[in-house]
Amino acid sequence: MLILIIGIGVGLVYGWVINPVKYVDTTPAKLRSDYQTDYILMVAEAFQAEGDLDLAARRLAVLGDSPPAEIVRQGMIYAAQINYADSDQELLSQLASALQTWVPASGGIQP
Amino acid sequence: MRDDRGHWYLLTGFVIGIVLGLVYAWLIAPQERPDTSPASLQPEFKDQFRAMIASAFVATGDLTRAEARLKYLGDSDITRVLSEQAQRTLGEGNSPLEAQALGLLAVALGQGDSAVISTPITSTTPDENQATINPGQATSTPPPVESPAVDFPTDTGLIPTPTNQESPETNAVLSTATPLPTRTPTATPGSPFVLQSNTFVCDPDLPNPLIQVIAENASGAPLPDQEITISWDGGDDFFFTGLKPDIGLGYADFLMEPGVVYEVRMAAGGQSVPDITPAECETESGSRYWGTWLLVFSRP
Repeated sequence: MLILIIGIGVGLVYGWVINPVKYVDTTPAKLRSDYQTDYILMVAEAFQAEGDLDLAARRLAVLGDSPPAEIVRQGMIYAAQINYADSDQELLSQLASALQTWVPASGGIQP
Repeated sequence: MRDDRGHWYLLTGFVIGIVLGLVYAWLIAPQERPDTSPASLQPEFKDQFRAMIASAFVATGDLTRAEARLKYLGDSDITRVLSEQAQRTLGEGNSPLEAQALGLLAVALGQGDSAVISTPITSTTPDENQATINPGQATSTPPPVESPAVDFPTDTGLIPTPTNQESPETNAVLSTATPLPTRTPTATPGSPFVLQSNTFVCDPDLPNPLIQVIAENASGAPLPDQEITISWDGGDDFFFTGLKPDIGLGYADFLMEPGVVYEVRMAAGGQSVPDITPAECETESGSRYWGTWLLVFSRP
């Protein structure tokens, strides 16, 4: 019985740590935080030039069900943690500010 | 009573245990890893990620950063993949600007450091050191590095996120480089194009009825990002040079429908070429295949 338990333990270590399941065909929502943050930064860079808030929100929607402003806020937190350049953090901040007043349904702007 | 099993039962139990452990770890409760890389994305999301990189590149003009981001996706031939996606996007007709951004990035990568977008948004400070950000070291200060070149591991290693600044060396190269045209296709300045040649080509290696267009300047240098309009009875379309940089930066092609008569012109203005229609060629053995119309436009 003891040797069986040891075998199970070895199998678990191998299957979870040494050679875990490799995920393919995933979605952006499952990306690692640094990749997600970089994607958000890309959206912010494009928004800076295009000025299209609806398009920016659609681009952010692939990162999950959270509101776009919340997605950007999470990205800002991570960017600050890993010391993104000030200019990049500023871009994120500008996008977040713009999204705070963005209303998806009507497309209008809240007062 | 004597036990004849020896020690084999121990090995059997161990193997069974391993199998049970693996079944549990791989099938029943695989480790949740919400930390995958863009290389593992579904193809459509990869396309979206790639398009986002291209749009950001057009916005910032930062080729180094765009190249680093593209490496996330693990494409073996980045330029080719970008070109193909640009063609695909253009063919779908959903987002010509996105297609153009992809094409611009493909062209810029083909030209290397000499490429630059004419309307960069973010500013750089030449006297600051370039720094790399290591996402795996959340509390560390980005260390300055001497060279703008950054090696990015494509596996599970720590992958740096974008560089903060361009080094003075990079700026020097960019400032003396020949700029690409602007990303607005209809805003191309300069005089209209002149048709230099209109040739029907029989090439068995090109069996499809193509219109091939080459755009070049007065000195014969290829001109990427030039819009070509094509019209026929009941329809029209447009395409751009430079989306197949492996063939040529000033090259573009269009697949014709048999029996349709087309008229081709450069969107920037100039002479139009009417009555282009698919025609067949014949090999010595008598087999037939479609020929290609090769139009060369030059800007005087």
